[in-house]
Amino acid sequence: MAPPPVSNAAPMTRRGFLKTASGIIGLSVLGLPGRGQGAGAGVSTPLGPVPGVAAQRIEGLAKVTGQKIYARDFRAGDMAGWPDHQWHALYLRARTTQEAFLGLDLAPLPPEAAPTRVILGSDLDPRLFDAPVQFERDLHVDDLLSAKAAEQEKAAKDGSFNLPDGLSFDLLVMPGTTPNFLGQAVALLLFDSLAAYRAARRFLAGDDGIVQHYGPGEGPDGTPLPEQPFDPRTLYVKDPGFDYAGTHAETYAREAPGVQARIRKALDEATGLIRQPIRAEMRAMDPMFMEPEAGLAWIDPARREMQLVLGTQSPDGDLRNIASMFGSAGSPVPELSHVTLHSCYPGGGFGGRDSSPFSLMLALAVAFADGNPVRLAYDRFEQFRVGLKRHATTAEGTLYAHDDMRLEAVQLSMSFDGGGRRNLSPYVASLGALCAGGSYRLPVADIHAEALHTENISGGSQRGFGGPQAYFAIETGLDDLAAAQGWDPMALRQANLIAEGDTTVTGGPIEQSLSLPEMLDIAAAHPLWAERAEIRAAHEAEGRTYGTGLAMSLQAYGTSGDGMVAAVHLERDGTLTVQSDAVDMGNGSATTLGVTIGPILGANATRVEMGGYTLFPQTGLSDDSDNPDRWDDPMWTQKGTGSSSACLTGLHQVNTVQQTAQALLRGSLLVAAARLWDGGPLSAEDVVWDAGALRPAGGIGAPLTLAALAEVVHEMGLPTGALGHAYFQNVWVEADFDTPGGALRLQLDGLAYYHGSKTAPQPIPRRDGSYPAPETARYSRYVWAPCVNVVGLTLDRASGRVQVENVLSVLNAGHIHVPELVSGQSQGGVAMAISYSLLEDMPPGMEGPADGRWNLNRYHVARAGDVPLGDRYVPGARAQELITLPQPPGSPRVGRGIAEAVMCSIPPAISNALRDATGVRFASLPITPDKILGGLAP
Amino acid sequence: MTIRFTVNGVGFELPDSRGQETLLDFLHDELNLTGTKLCCGIGVCRACTVQVVKPPSPAPSPTISCSTALATLDGTQVSTIESVARGGRPDPVQQAFLDQFAFQCGYCAPGFVMAARMFLSGLQAQPVPPDQLEAAMMEAIGSHICRCTGYVRYFEALRSLAEAVNAGEAIEL
Repeated sequence: MAPPPVSNAAPMTRRGFLKTASGIIGLSVLGLPGRGQGAGAGVSTPLGPVPGVAAQRIEGLAKVTGQKIYARDFRAGDMAGWPDHQWHALYLRARTTQEAFLGLDLAPLPPEAAPTRVILGSDLDPRLFDAPVQFERDLHVDDLLSAKAAEQEKAAKDGSFNLPDGLSFDLLVMPGTTPNFLGQAVALLLFDSLAAYRAARRFLAGDDGIVQHYGPGEGPDGTPLPEQPFDPRTLYVKDPGFDYAGTHAETYAREAPGVQARIRKALDEATGLIRQPIRAEMRAMDPMFMEPEAGLAWIDPARREMQLVLGTQSPDGDLRNIASMFGSAGSPVPELSHVTLHSCYPGGGFGGRDSSPFSLMLALAVAFADGNPVRLAYDRFEQFRVGLKRHATTAEGTLYAHDDMRLEAVQLSMSFDGGGRRNLSPYVASLGALCAGGSYRLPVADIHAEALHTENISGGSQRGFGGPQAYFAIETGLDDLAAAQGWDPMALRQANLIAEGDTTVTGGPIEQSLSLPEMLDIAAAHPLWAERAEIRAAHEAEGRTYGTGLAMSLQAYGTSGDGMVAAVHLERDGTLTVQSDAVDMGNGSATTLGVTIGPILGANATRVEMGGYTLFPQTGLSDDSDNPDRWDDPMWTQKGTGSSSACLTGLHQVNTVQQTAQALLRGSLLVAAARLWDGGPLSAEDVVWDAGALRPAGGIGAPLTLAALAEVVHEMGLPTGALGHAYFQNVWVEADFDTPGGALRLQLDGLAYYHGSKTAPQPIPRRDGSYPAPETARYSRYVWAPCVNVVGLTLDRASGRVQVENVLSVLNAGHIHVPELVSGQSQGGVAMAISYSLLEDMPPGMEGPADGRWNLNRYHVARAGDVPLGDRYVPGARAQELITLPQPPGSPRVGRGIAEAVMCSIPPAISNALRDATGVRFASLPITPDKILGGLAP
Repeated sequence: MTIRFTVNGVGFELPDSRGQETLLDFLHDELNLTGTKLCCGIGVCRACTVQVVKPPSPAPSPTISCSTALATLDGTQVSTIESVARGGRPDPVQQAFLDQFAFQCGYCAPGFVMAARMFLSGLQAQPVPPDQLEAAMMEAIGSHICRCTGYVRYFEALRSLAEAVNAGEAIEL
């Protein structure tokens, strides 16, 4: 039975190009796939009639009615122009790193499970891995990597991997060599029938080692060696005379170790300082997004085009890396001319689909499928086995404080288990090091963070990006300090809050209002904190052990330099379309971007198209780091686009869409309105939107609907769409752009206008730009979404089971675009954090999911009963209350990225509550009943 | 011997030899009905919940399709998420989930919709004392796993409907 038909819409096609060893490869991104279907077909739900207000999610109807929108939903038969018959791919994976993989013996497989083709590492041309597979994330970290690359390139042998930030280990283990990590693919099996694929899966379930042979051979090949760090490591040392942000990179590298020694000596010798040890360890965590990774691929032989169907958070990096590999001299698909991504909504992400190796494995599979489409679909066992994880982490150090509660220094070493692949691990460690300073003013810091290569499952970008681990360390340390000194934990924090004008542990300045004292005051006054003694007494009267815990986080949003791109189109019928490079993984960015244009253009978007990686090439801008002119070149930008992570919606993506909408309004619509009103030039202040129509602000003039304006815009040949690129690095790049509506000053570094179509816009070079100072990249982060959490919980001393009774979250979210989405992120973050703290236990090595036998019967995630479901604190009932800081009257409507903010300090608040309840510090996550019972044992 | 059942009103007759295949695989691979989602595949998360009615009993039963063998479905009527909206119009549960922003990535939503519908239909047939409604709701959807939402909005959306249905308000499911 076929799914219900959906309406056609114009396909969303955007093109870009990548120069590879074998030539130029075109890159395209399309919307949701389907026979005769176009982008957004049947997906969009009306956002609502009130501009700026979302009545529901724009993609909500498609999701709640079960329409095909996830990559896992699609089969070759759904794809227009593809052959119907599809092959199925299955990777066999390493079960040891102690012996060499020698090969396969498929004899044990029953005949009905025999694969059509088997590909081993020896079937791949080594030159396939000469292409630079890149994982860029943070400018200041990337700068260190580039410097290292330049050094290594000088010493590189022919045929070696040419960049340290490239792919360090083989996609398929070369027979005769030892796997570098558990779960590394050793073989690709391809099946031309679903029945054979299913039979093989059934046979190999739980132990694919039955067909693998291991024995003596060559050791692991690759860099770094086991237990060695992935470069670069992060060291932040700060004292009144020296810090990372204020020191040139080369000077810092040379002098920081000496400063560190100086700091340590001074702290060792200081008298009168209180020393509070910090020690915490956290197990790895699986994002457990609900849709296991899956995708389709096909190489059209006539057009030499690879098509992929994927739900990914990083369409930019995925496409580029696939094209790089397949454009290399060792490509199994010579003369590949084009790579097209059909961008699907991911069924959850949380960072686990950011720079995931899945897309590379899918592309590799289709290369050997004899021209047939291929489906690669992990089941949950496999997803646990190889999917990117939040890093297991150890943190050890000391907090130093004066006896008047002022903090003097934090000394901390953090070690992240990066697992097999480097992926984004060094960046995670880097941000973790920044977060280790917490929400506090610290005159002195000595923070070291590194990500180690181990045999374990690879760590990656996970919600919080190092923050959860860092805040667990600093916030439990602070609480222990308060308890040891007899200080009120609220007062200790109040005495040390960082504020505008202070500097972080990198030395980067805080140049944003944080309102931390007010947030703590709100928490302090709330009954959950203010009446904690009475609440505890009430529980104890009923025989229950109860405790209250407080913790804070200062989670940044954005990275050290972010580029975003958006397009806004006025269709002929007067409806509005928004396009963005961002991916909506459920966080609601599509809905937010759709309504954010409402106040500017009089109506919410009717269509929102996400994942538009190739919008950036249309801007005409280049982000070539070798351009010597840099910002002096009016068509250059520091960064094109990046992954959808780092909470980029609330400020970064929204502002980009808003500025682009302004460019359309002021550069086109107002020109049309002036024509219709027979008046002089109009500025945005001269008009208002009223019930979907444009009116003069002051008085007389017929109301103009968007449809009427669209007609005139098309007739006059005015821009029918605007394409804007923006860059944020501590400040927005601003520039003047000459438009049909006059010169416009915008927070964009690139602007182009469409005329009647959604391709080939006309770029307008910027002029009189103002740019971020380059050295600001070393601040690491610039903007913050602080959160205070108070947790009240009960503990069953007989079983060790913990129940979270109440959560209070005080969040500085800035201007809130869609309240329901903010509260949803808060609620999801609370549940994920409770789960991480108490339930999710994933041992390393073959004791854990690397053995291929883990699923939700062994890895426990929070269910509804584990989470307080009320939304307002009521004595005696369970609830989670979110208080968002009201914005002062007249504040600009600027949002903050909050998807990680509430989650980050719940784990230490839970540990602090348990310490309050029992007097025992539980600093090893997850805090399982066994650990509690062990800690309480006399 | 054959296995006879319907899916969304369409009848199927399969040989016994296919009895060990799962209902979810049948829905996906044979019928291209992918609205019912695979998440864990071992019957824990309930994302793959469908409705099964075995006449003569009219009572619908939430059924975990990833772990249900076709052999057990002889004589049954299976309904999936694709059968819920009529002419593209969401049913009251779907509308409530939309209005309350109950889901985020949406992958678990079909399972929640099916379970919620059967819960409400059970309340229509047999209301419960109001002070037991919350526990009944937890019984109906409390085992469904969602990773995005933290469950609060799902419960808020269903609670409004459940209170109305339990009080005797007529809602067309």
